[in-house]
Amino acid sequence: MKRIEAIIRPSKLDEVKERLMTLGITGLTVSEVKGFGRQKGHTEMYRGTEYTVDFLPKILVTIVVAEDLVEPVAKAIAETARTGKIGDGKIFVSSLDEIMRIRTGERGPSAI
Amino acid sequence: MPNVSITRPKLWLLKAVLAILFAQWLCGPMLVALADEPQPDPAGIATGDKSSTSDASGNSFILTEPTDKSAPDYAKNKKAFDDFTAQAAKEPLAMKLADNVGHLRISVNFSWTLLTGYLVLFMQAGFALLTCGLVRKKNAGHLMMLNFAAYVFAFLAYYVCGFAFQYGGGAINAAPANLGGTPTLNHFLLGGGLWGFLGGKGFFLSGPGYDAGSLCLTLFEVVFMETAGYIIVGAICERINFWAFLLCELFMGGILYPSFGCWVWGGGWMSQLGNTMGMGHGYVDFAGSTVVHGVGGFAAMALAIILGPRLGKYGPDGKPRAFPAHNLAFVVIGTFILLFGWMGFNPGSTLGASDLRISVIAVNTNLAAVAGSASAMFLWYYIFGKPDITMACNGMLAGLVAITAPCAFVSPNSAVIIGLIAGIVVDLGVLFNERVIKVDDPCGAISVHGYCGWLGAVCVGIFADGTYGAGWNGVGATSYLGKAGLGVTGLLYGDSRQFLMQVIGATFMAVYIFGFTYVVFSLVNSVSSMRVSKEVELEGLDIPEFGMEAYPEDRVEMISPGAQVARA
Repeated sequence: MKRIEAIIRPSKLDEVKERLMTLGITGLTVSEVKGFGRQKGHTEMYRGTEYTVDFLPKILVTIVVAEDLVEPVAKAIAETARTGKIGDGKIFVSSLDEIMRIRTGERGPSAI
Repeated sequence: MPNVSITRPKLWLLKAVLAILFAQWLCGPMLVALADEPQPDPAGIATGDKSSTSDASGNSFILTEPTDKSAPDYAKNKKAFDDFTAQAAKEPLAMKLADNVGHLRISVNFSWTLLTGYLVLFMQAGFALLTCGLVRKKNAGHLMMLNFAAYVFAFLAYYVCGFAFQYGGGAINAAPANLGGTPTLNHFLLGGGLWGFLGGKGFFLSGPGYDAGSLCLTLFEVVFMETAGYIIVGAICERINFWAFLLCELFMGGILYPSFGCWVWGGGWMSQLGNTMGMGHGYVDFAGSTVVHGVGGFAAMALAIILGPRLGKYGPDGKPRAFPAHNLAFVVIGTFILLFGWMGFNPGSTLGASDLRISVIAVNTNLAAVAGSASAMFLWYYIFGKPDITMACNGMLAGLVAITAPCAFVSPNSAVIIGLIAGIVVDLGVLFNERVIKVDDPCGAISVHGYCGWLGAVCVGIFADGTYGAGWNGVGATSYLGKAGLGVTGLLYGDSRQFLMQVIGATFMAVYIFGFTYVVFSLVNSVSSMRVSKEVELEGLDIPEFGMEAYPEDRVEMISPGAQVARA
């Protein structure tokens, strides 16, 4: 069992989701997050005064999969979320110790 | 979260207010009944008779007997009067019909004045949305409370003494003939004749003020005063504490606005300078560029200076920082509601639908609004490379403010020019306030209402074309500048004294309003700080001041308020 966390552009969420659905993913969790990477912030103008937006809005997609799906899922996200410009985001993969389905009490891979 | 001390209103204050109300309720009707004065007409059954009947150009159906035997056309007028009297005696039915027509005319004007008053009332919703959209999310609830309380408390102050101060001497020099003349409001508390300084009838809207015509005027004028009361919110929000704000509103509704309003609209000394000093038609402000907007704008400026800028508005290097608006949809909707309300503000200021100039006024008002928006937007685009939606909205309001004084006296072409100038003034005014004099004005109220209000009054003196306003403020009823029927005229059409009057009058307004407000509230501020504490300002004023915030769903614990019920 692996947890894949991908930080992507908000505008790419739909595309990523559609693609993941075709891979047989059973569920995913999305959070609106803010932060910066190499892209840093950018400056805007409000009523004649410049201001910097330090933390840019991004989407954090969290998805838990069995070992065999890690590679295709990560690849799918990387392909669909890429624009080639700075600020496309990152994908983190980490291992997961335990899962429990609240409704039935199932544990392990069958609870994914 | 800082500890917030709770301040409760003093009980003796409540008792004093109740005692005053009771005393005036007892005394009011007695004083009127005893005095040898025009009697009020609360039922409206004696307002509007044949003396209110006139033709399209305002010539009265009834002729009055000429009294001045030395006048050159005395013989002619006397003969006309005698002929009329003889004819009237022969046709009693026609005279009776004239009574009905006169009553009908007043009724139509009542409807118009009240309905346009309701439109102006709706502007309060526009102001609330506009200013709320322009502040930060953490202060949105506080700002809404300010807007709401402004209406409540300024209205009460206007009821107690504001209306009496402003219009208590109205019938002397500025009787609103379209509403039956309000003959009961005939006394100046300070000054008299052509030099009235403060009205003196109609306190608590009782006695002489308890009159159908007078109360029609009250409804229309109180919503104007509220507009000035709302304007200050835009410049002092996000840092003033609630009690200081209430004091500002009582001052605005009870003293500041009515005093200047009396001088210009209540038949006071500024309106009569044409008669006393030969200054054109006296100081002319049709619907309140200065009387309403200038007063609000410059009072706002004084208060913003006393309060100082919001924390963090200026960096250590003195450079301004941006606090972006939290809801642009509110800003745009608010602006459109204001535009809609302005269709009552300006055309309604004729106080009567029997004055057909209303169509010209309505079109002029709209033209200036769109012209102001366009020029503000494009100038901004030119300076900063992107049009700014909040400045485009400010530009529309600037055009509206600037056309408010001249709307009745100018042509549509002039209205467009006035709007274009106003759009430029508001842009430069915002930058000037923010960068040069460093007065923190979150919503641009000083620039929109103060600077453009001044501009509007001056534009009367430039663009007025003489087609409207013959006999305005009692000047030139028969002929003006050698021309019969010539109305208020500006510099471009040959009346330089009117221009001079407008420049002096508008500048005097700015100095008087700014100075009076600054002195009074510097004193208040030295007794007790008008500003919230640093911690409260940083946290946002919503919770510390009122215990609730505009967007509670932002807080996690509020997501399922029914949880405990479900468990039980």
